[in-house]
Amino acid sequence: MKKVFFGLLAIVLLCSHDMFLKMDNYFLDPNTNAAIQLFNGTFEKSENVIDRNRMLDMSLVGNGQRIQVDSAQWTEKDSITFLNFKTGGPGTWVAGVSTAAKNIALDAKSFNDYLEHDGVVDMLEWRKENNALDQDAVEKYSKHVKTIFQVGEELSDDWKTALGYPIEFIPQENPYDIHAGHSLKVQLLYKGKPLANQLVIIGTEKSEENTTIEHSHDGGDPHTHKSGETPDHDHNSGLQLRTDDAGILEFEITNAGVWHMRTIYMVQSEEEGLTHESNWATLTFAVGSGHSAAHGTDKDENHHTHEEESFSSYIFLLVSLVIVAGLFFYFKSKKK
Amino acid sequence: MYIKPVGASFSLLVMLLFPMLLLAHDVSSGDQQILDSGGLLSYIWVGAKHMLTGYDHLLFLVGVIFFLKGFRDILKFITVFTIGHSITLLGGTYLGVQVNEHLIDAIIALSVLYKGFENLEGFKKLGTRAPNLLMMVFLFGLIHGLGLSTRLQTFDMGQDQFLLKIISFNVGVELGQIAALIPIILLIKAWKGKPSYEAFYKGSNVYLIIAGIGLFAYQVYGYFNGH
Repeated sequence: MKKVFFGLLAIVLLCSHDMFLKMDNYFLDPNTNAAIQLFNGTFEKSENVIDRNRMLDMSLVGNGQRIQVDSAQWTEKDSITFLNFKTGGPGTWVAGVSTAAKNIALDAKSFNDYLEHDGVVDMLEWRKENNALDQDAVEKYSKHVKTIFQVGEELSDDWKTALGYPIEFIPQENPYDIHAGHSLKVQLLYKGKPLANQLVIIGTEKSEENTTIEHSHDGGDPHTHKSGETPDHDHNSGLQLRTDDAGILEFEITNAGVWHMRTIYMVQSEEEGLTHESNWATLTFAVGSGHSAAHGTDKDENHHTHEEESFSSYIFLLVSLVIVAGLFFYFKSKKK
Repeated sequence: MYIKPVGASFSLLVMLLFPMLLLAHDVSSGDQQILDSGGLLSYIWVGAKHMLTGYDHLLFLVGVIFFLKGFRDILKFITVFTIGHSITLLGGTYLGVQVNEHLIDAIIALSVLYKGFENLEGFKKLGTRAPNLLMMVFLFGLIHGLGLSTRLQTFDMGQDQFLLKIISFNVGVELGQIAALIPIILLIKAWKGKPSYEAFYKGSNVYLIIAGIGLFAYQVYGYFNGH
């Protein structure tokens, strides 16, 4: 009974704790205060905060520079860890957090359940094929998460900076330079090299668990699934794709909004006292309709930026009121 | 309905300018986010917002309404203005007609000046006959529509439902126009016949001339010193 309890507890503690960097707004003004939220739980809900001493790296990359964030800049509230920072100059920025590894011991059943529920299906298959489903596990795991956001109107190349994490996603195109309807390629690197045939789960805030997203598997024909259709692969927690030989997966951006992807890469470990090692990666970003200063350069040459027009609304109103009131009283007194 | 003259003058002024007080004239990058994520309804919203906060469009309409007598007149002229700006807003955006924003806004500013000048019988004082107002309202409607189209084209609209997005924006413009005009029409109507109406009429139309000149100068400055 005790074993079952701790097994279930382990599933709760481990399985549901994806980590994401999120923002309330992925389009920020330059040189203004902003906050990045570190969710540890699901994309929708953070269930606990991360100890700051577990953060091996917290970086902001923008304007061609990588800034190491001081742990004093983090605050915690309602199970969410916040990074308050001031945006810099315009550009497409990337932020990343990499955590130190921790170990967890699981009995065989709990481990199998966790593999199934969190999409570590390759390891589960291996265990099935090798009659290892009854083996307990001691797993070392660490998480490496990134978010890409846009500051101001001007695009930059900072978004594609590899942060050097054990595992990380790197888009092959600036997400802030594309529209809904585009297909986006994202590369998955493991220890700096493309990771092939790795399962990645993709979601969007607008189309979470949307099975109508067009996608392909292993270079096959793009397809979608109708409502009620039971595909031969699990979509329960989002769109599932596998990377190709170059570590790249491609999917259609079906809607504007926030997109997120996650993967858990697990290998068997030779390290003493361990049976497995896993590295978790997530990436979040928002897609507008390709809103950027880089679009339609000729347009921008001929037009104001939108914000500039706010210059005088209130001044205009005040001056207008004064003028009309003055004129009114002038004509009124003249009449007398 | 009795309105105390001086207090009512002030109330009317505030009401006339109320949309600007509330929303200001900026169509910001926040609007781009609304458009990015809100579907066709967001285009209606942004269109309405632009009309409500576009003081140049509203000032011109205020000038037109001052001149008119009776509800049928108002309906006729507003309809002609709507047809005019819808033609260029829909056509200009769909065909991607690009005009310089400063120049088109400068012409719109002149339309404000024109209306104030005409309302104060400027043409009569010059000894000439004013052009047909209905025709001028249609012509200025076309110009205002081109201004709206120019504004809409500064947004990245994507290719999906492109025409529907333009139509939605246009619908929003009409809704915003109606929302702005109703209180203005009601208050001008209530004001007419009061002892202070003449002073208000003159003051407001002289203001339209001043505002037209000011906006024109601002846009011309922007054209030569813009980026």
